[in-house]
Amino acid sequence: MSVKYIPVQWNPNKYVYDAVMLAAVAAFLWFFMFVSPDLLAHDRPITGQIRTARAFGACAFFMLTVILCIGPLARLDARFLPLLYNRRHFGVMAFFIALTHAYAILGWYFSFTPIETYEALLSTNTSFDRVRGFPFEILGLFALLCLGVLALTSHDFWMKFLTPPIWKALHFLIYAAYAAVIGHVALGVLQDGHATGLTVAFGLSGALVIALHLAAVMKDRRAGDPAASIAQDGWEVACHADQVEEGFGKVAVLSTGERVAVFRQEGKLSAISNACSHQNGPLGEGRIIDCLVTCPWHGFQYNVTNGRSPEPFTETVPTYDLRIDGAKVLIRSEPNPPGTYVEPVAATPANKDTV
Amino acid sequence: MSDKEDPFFVGYLPAPKSLRWFLAGVSLLLILAFPLFSWAVSVTQEDPGPSGYRFDFGRQTLTGTITLAPYPTLHVTEGSELVAAGETILLAGVGKFGVANRVSDFDGALATLQGIILDRGDLRMLQVAGGRRGVMAAEGEAPTLDIEPLGRWRLSGEICDGKCLAGAMRPGTGIGHRACAQLCLVGEVPPVFVASEPINGHEFFLIGTADGAPIGRDLIDFVGLYVEAEGEISLRGGMPVLIIDPETVESL
Repeated sequence: MSVKYIPVQWNPNKYVYDAVMLAAVAAFLWFFMFVSPDLLAHDRPITGQIRTARAFGACAFFMLTVILCIGPLARLDARFLPLLYNRRHFGVMAFFIALTHAYAILGWYFSFTPIETYEALLSTNTSFDRVRGFPFEILGLFALLCLGVLALTSHDFWMKFLTPPIWKALHFLIYAAYAAVIGHVALGVLQDGHATGLTVAFGLSGALVIALHLAAVMKDRRAGDPAASIAQDGWEVACHADQVEEGFGKVAVLSTGERVAVFRQEGKLSAISNACSHQNGPLGEGRIIDCLVTCPWHGFQYNVTNGRSPEPFTETVPTYDLRIDGAKVLIRSEPNPPGTYVEPVAATPANKDTV
Repeated sequence: MSDKEDPFFVGYLPAPKSLRWFLAGVSLLLILAFPLFSWAVSVTQEDPGPSGYRFDFGRQTLTGTITLAPYPTLHVTEGSELVAAGETILLAGVGKFGVANRVSDFDGALATLQGIILDRGDLRMLQVAGGRRGVMAAEGEAPTLDIEPLGRWRLSGEICDGKCLAGAMRPGTGIGHRACAQLCLVGEVPPVFVASEPINGHEFFLIGTADGAPIGRDLIDFVGLYVEAEGEISLRGGMPVLIIDPETVESL
């Protein structure tokens, strides 16, 4: 959370996150570029520029794989949420690693030619009608452009400027980028059939990404947020009061398709939108810390009675009118404008045995 | 609802104690997984083969007969420690350029060339040095080149650029190198057919066309692919040459 835009809001956890990431990437590149030539022991080794290009390309692919695994892992096990916290730094670094790969390729394969480098890239291989021999470089270029857009718009300024829904939709480009990278590798180096290790690692990586996403989807379907049931005109039963524990939220999907999070604070219930105004994080999976609902993704906080971040912060989320009917918690289907105060409603204390 | 037994991480607060060991383990796993992936990919790279620049022999000075068609070659009459008299070698310029324009005045005549040798098996190429000392006229009678026809053959293999194949890049073949090879051929570096099975003991064939012109886009599109092609094979001064029939080239 911030009241002004600064390049990076550093904190100790981000330092640790970035240090781990840098160490992992450095270990990858160091091994590939400086250890493997001795292990390979070729009489005439692979050209240094080609080795460099391969190292950075393979590293970028593995980084993207890890980045895409973080989301579903966090859905499957909340202990992985800290990996989500600073994932954008990981993404920006993946872009620069991929850019270095592209730079090495352009500076070697597409240079020293009678044709200008970028013209050569786009015009040399035009066999779009064949699988073997397809200009796979174009797919790599597309992926790089996607990663560039994601890196450039990774800052919160762009999220505020574009609005979270558009920003989030834009950042689904990561999947297009990964698909393009899959094509880039599959139609490129794998076509030669000599890269045994890459073939296996590539297959396992793609399978891991798909499997984790499927597992996360299945978990969400199996244990997803329950739908609210319509009670009276404009009101819906979100849950029972005793299902909401002190300091925690309970999520329900309203007939409008919006998710509402009902929280209990000091014994009273309040309801706010489940979508954090920062990155649409699931507020209902957060907790009340220091009297504020805290998003599990990046720690954005809101007063549960009015959906406002504490001053001097300015973020707001919609609130919902709430009333109690016996044990039922009724929510008005239409949200209040973001930041609207709603009087908390006293309700039966949560009883763990009835959850 | 989140499980209240689970530790709750907030990025700007110290990590919960119960989560620290888990995060330390994940961090360690990542730091190990990256070099592990690197190992799996890097140590299984294919040997690019016995090719490369022979900088260890330094700049070579060779005299011989220049032949322009199908691509510039030098039939050596005065060799060096590395290249014996009687050999015929391919010629190329620095970068992805041929040398046809630089040796065009010497077709069938003697010239002295300087440059660096690249080799791969019995394939040799001279990367002609820039400047006047790269190509110089030589005095003497140019010997006639022996041409030994070997008949019409159907070959399978790969069309490459002779320079990267000879070791300007390692590896210098295959799909990954396709665009680079195409650019070399656009720059009129001599193309070479790498046969999957030797013919009369020869694996590498300088490719030419019937009219003596550089190969066109129709053949360049097949570069780096596994192809079959037909053509007339001959030995010109000992160098295997394939005069390719473009109509017969097909990707396998």
